[in-house]
Amino acid sequence: MKKKILVANRGEIALRVIRAIQELGHTAVAIYETPDNEALHIRTADEAVWIGDGPRSDYLNIDKVIKAAKKSEAEAIHPGYGFLAENPDFAKACEDEGIIFIGPSSEVITNLGDKVIARKIMADADIPMVPGTQNLNAGDDGVQQAIEFGRKYGYPIMLKATAGGGGRGIRQIDDESQLREEIPIARAEAKAAFNNDNVYLEKVVLTPKHVEVQVIADKLGNTVHLGTRDCSIQRRNQKLVEIAPSMIEDQELLDSICNTAVKAAKAANYANAGTVEFLIDKDMNYYFMEINTRVQVEHTVTEMITGIDIVRTQIKLALGKNLAFSQDDVQLRGHAIEMRINAEDPRNNFMPEGGKNVSVYRSPGGYGVRLDGFVYQGYTIPEVYDSLLVKLTVFGFSWNETVDRLKRCLTNFVITGPKTTIPFYLNLVNDDDFKKGDFDTSYLDTHTHLFEYEDVKSEVNKLSKLIAEIHYKGENSYAI
Amino acid sequence: MEHIIKQGMGIKEVQDKLRSADGYFVTNTARDLSQSDFKNRILLHTDLLAAKSRENAGFFSLEITGGASVHVDILRKQVDPFLKLKLLREKMPNTMFQTLCRGVNLFGYRPYPPNVIRMTVSEFAKYVDVWRVFDFMNHIPNMQAVFEEVQKAGKILEPSICFSTGPEHTDEFYVKKVDEILDVTGDEILLCIKNHGGLGTPKRIGDLVDAIKQKHPDLIIHYHGHNTDGNDIGRITAAVLNGATIVDAADHAFTGYYGPPPILSVIQTLKEYDQKAEGIDEKAIIETSEVLRHERDHYEYFESQFKGFAPTVQIHKLPGGAMGSSFEQAVKGEFLDKMPEILHEELPKVQIELGNWWSVTPGSQILWTTAVSNVQGEERYGNPSGDLKNLLLGKYGPFPFYKPADWIYEKVFGSDWQKILEEEGGVEAIEDMDIDKERQTLTERLGYGPTNQQLVTYLQHPNDAVDFFKFEEKFGHVYVLPPSIFLRRGGFKLGETLKFRDHNGKEHVIEIGPKQKSEEDEWNVYLNVDHEQRVFLFQEEAQQAGGVAPAEQLSKKEIAELAKNGDIRASFSGNVCEISVEEDQEVADGDRLIVLEAMKMQTPVTCELSGMVERIFVKVGQAVQPGDKLLSIITGEE
Repeated sequence: MKKKILVANRGEIALRVIRAIQELGHTAVAIYETPDNEALHIRTADEAVWIGDGPRSDYLNIDKVIKAAKKSEAEAIHPGYGFLAENPDFAKACEDEGIIFIGPSSEVITNLGDKVIARKIMADADIPMVPGTQNLNAGDDGVQQAIEFGRKYGYPIMLKATAGGGGRGIRQIDDESQLREEIPIARAEAKAAFNNDNVYLEKVVLTPKHVEVQVIADKLGNTVHLGTRDCSIQRRNQKLVEIAPSMIEDQELLDSICNTAVKAAKAANYANAGTVEFLIDKDMNYYFMEINTRVQVEHTVTEMITGIDIVRTQIKLALGKNLAFSQDDVQLRGHAIEMRINAEDPRNNFMPEGGKNVSVYRSPGGYGVRLDGFVYQGYTIPEVYDSLLVKLTVFGFSWNETVDRLKRCLTNFVITGPKTTIPFYLNLVNDDDFKKGDFDTSYLDTHTHLFEYEDVKSEVNKLSKLIAEIHYKGENSYAI
Repeated sequence: MEHIIKQGMGIKEVQDKLRSADGYFVTNTARDLSQSDFKNRILLHTDLLAAKSRENAGFFSLEITGGASVHVDILRKQVDPFLKLKLLREKMPNTMFQTLCRGVNLFGYRPYPPNVIRMTVSEFAKYVDVWRVFDFMNHIPNMQAVFEEVQKAGKILEPSICFSTGPEHTDEFYVKKVDEILDVTGDEILLCIKNHGGLGTPKRIGDLVDAIKQKHPDLIIHYHGHNTDGNDIGRITAAVLNGATIVDAADHAFTGYYGPPPILSVIQTLKEYDQKAEGIDEKAIIETSEVLRHERDHYEYFESQFKGFAPTVQIHKLPGGAMGSSFEQAVKGEFLDKMPEILHEELPKVQIELGNWWSVTPGSQILWTTAVSNVQGEERYGNPSGDLKNLLLGKYGPFPFYKPADWIYEKVFGSDWQKILEEEGGVEAIEDMDIDKERQTLTERLGYGPTNQQLVTYLQHPNDAVDFFKFEEKFGHVYVLPPSIFLRRGGFKLGETLKFRDHNGKEHVIEIGPKQKSEEDEWNVYLNVDHEQRVFLFQEEAQQAGGVAPAEQLSKKEIAELAKNGDIRASFSGNVCEISVEEDQEVADGDRLIVLEAMKMQTPVTCELSGMVERIFVKVGQAVQPGDKLLSIITGEE
């Protein structure tokens, strides 16, 4: 039966979800704040509801989003990623209002969102974990607990906000005196950012690989994995490049990681799509990090190598269907790489280029190329949202073929106006270590030459300036 | 066909090949043709189209740079003179490239310091094989620094004797000049007879070549002439029959009136005398013109205002390279009606009065400007240019035959001219320049460190070079645009499709869209660039040439009147090249205030009253239009 589904997000992920809704024959409802009133997701959706002037505050406002759903008579909400996606109160509000939340239950989100509870669940299920503490006790007592942990496992250690995530609320501590200093600061920050001042400690795994497993489960508990992704190439704990599957050659190890992920999801009573994140150290020991209870930015690479539409599956599961495929049906083929093309200046610490106008946008195409974008010619990059313009995902039968294709796509991509991460990525695809598939989370720090490039201004844009001038003046002032 | 003379050969090998050949060789003077008949505007795009067949034609050399072309490259054609040579070299690996160098004046109009000469020659020598060097006074010391650098760089040195006519211009005189050159250079040279005006008869040229050959039988003579009177093939024929080894000519599809004559006609004529054009593939020569023929229409605007040969050149002696621009100035300055008087009466008179030396850059400009100002002004020599003063002071070298009469000195310098001549006269030794400091200045002006080649270009023409480099940053490598685009007049047609290949070899297509005025009085120009629509904004006032507000419409007389009251304005369009005073400075009648430069000539603006400089409105390097305020002077009376 045709249903109405509200997409509680913006940007490329809103478009991604709208596409899946429309492919299933349902009606897609978009929401938007004022700065997005010309955005592409409104044009593509079947309906759109304005929820306020924002910026950001209305996309984060549970009441307004629920109100929009009711107003448009939506029966389900897909939260995308970011904003309210991992807010258990939002999932709870949906449940209370009888709206289907496309994702796990509010209880699962609560448990997995609390890093300490999550660690407890995983510990009970024998999932390998980086040594860490429970929430530190308040006051001096907690500081004392922390100092003992530091002495036992050595430095550096990570001080983490229990309610943090997505790279936020994490700080590295290199010695005991720093630990004393930083605990109160971290608590104050966590309180401000997440309204929860709980913090805990974890031993640091130095220069690990970041490998994650896409899992998907129905309400009957049928849980399958869709293989691994490597997201080691990051800046300030934010992912830039994602690869599926992991380039680790030891297939047994990867199988073991995937099976552990399924076990972890089951232990958490997980339903719908989720991601189990692991760190892998130099000796190929792997440790559970966390479960993300949302669709990930990088889900595209998994879709490319499995052929399974994750968002479509998410919607079907949420609407009451069971998994239509078993683990044996999931076959991994080839390689996929996703690059986040952001309006940022990599050479200036990835400073966002908000406010600039995209005067030319020409994207590559062809075999094995997928674009999940939000940008178009004439698009002005909002200063109030993130700087992601388009995700370029390429697929190839072999790793080399995939890298070659990626390079071709980056070379043919034309974005004029803002600086983008493209020239930086072009250096990256030409780097020997990348070409060998050899990278960990220290990659950017150890490959600083990636930042050495000249901003190339499009020659035809310059020339067309002169042609426009000749046309306007009726002659070339250099030809008189 | 195998090239007899190949790029990369040393002078000795070249001399051997030339001496052992039975016939003669041909230089394709594409640059001189462009300068003489197309105001130097033949674009690199066109030369690149012709490159393949020119390479196959088997020339001794292709004269493709030097003279005024280096300046026009950056000033008008907007192409890097070094990049131009590099790109042509890629398509023409075997053909020697030739330049024309004005001795100490290099490719500019005034003498350069020795270290600038050294750097310029060594940078250009990376692409240029044959160096034709001349001095308009035939004063050997003015060429010596370049001679040395060219020989040091292992390139082919071709010193010139400039040729003219008149009772002083005897074979004896020229043979002595050749002796002077050989004393300085030794015999590892080629000698050019530089007949830039196309003067004299075939017999005269034949006699001169013969006289030189009698004295120096082994000396290889390269005859260069212009076809201004329509008779250069006669002179070339006489030169070859009397022993010249190399001659200059040009592609027939582009030959006009004031440049060199058609190569093919030269070859056909000399065949009748059993003279063979060595290494030449006639088919390739024809092919070149078939390619060029289709391009000529786009250059029509730059062809001479007066069509037809000018045998009167034997009277006025203007070099081919200055003919087109003279008529252009006459049209722009609205004195075309006075041209017969200027060319046939005043110019010959000035020539004789000033010493009957050689009318070629920068001397030809001095003669021309003086003649124009003599006819236009109230009295002859009443408004002398700075360069005329320098000439009279002997800054360009000694007069070869006789000095101008005292009355001219008195007219130009006033009653104490003898004292001035004594104190300021003579060639000045030019000190080395602080090149590092210049590099620093250029770095500051550009915002990045320049290459050596950029620095060399800057040292020739500082302001124009900076403007060009900034142009290139903004508009890219525009040499890729064909003349049908770059030289288009009257704008493009709506819906017209332009196709070209950019600097990196990528093909582009631009479709011309509408231009519309917005509510804010801005013009929107729509283009479809590679199938993407683009809008370009133009402000209404930017439609004035160069974006400069229109100058007040003042007549020359009104400007002169204002000057008497202390409101000093430009009387012609040019660039401010010197500000000789400061604000609040006391000035007296006759003091130099500002020096303006136009058409290669520097002209001082002098004070006509006594007072104090109140305000200076312009900066060095600024372009001014007639009527633009330069500075104001207040007198005590007010």
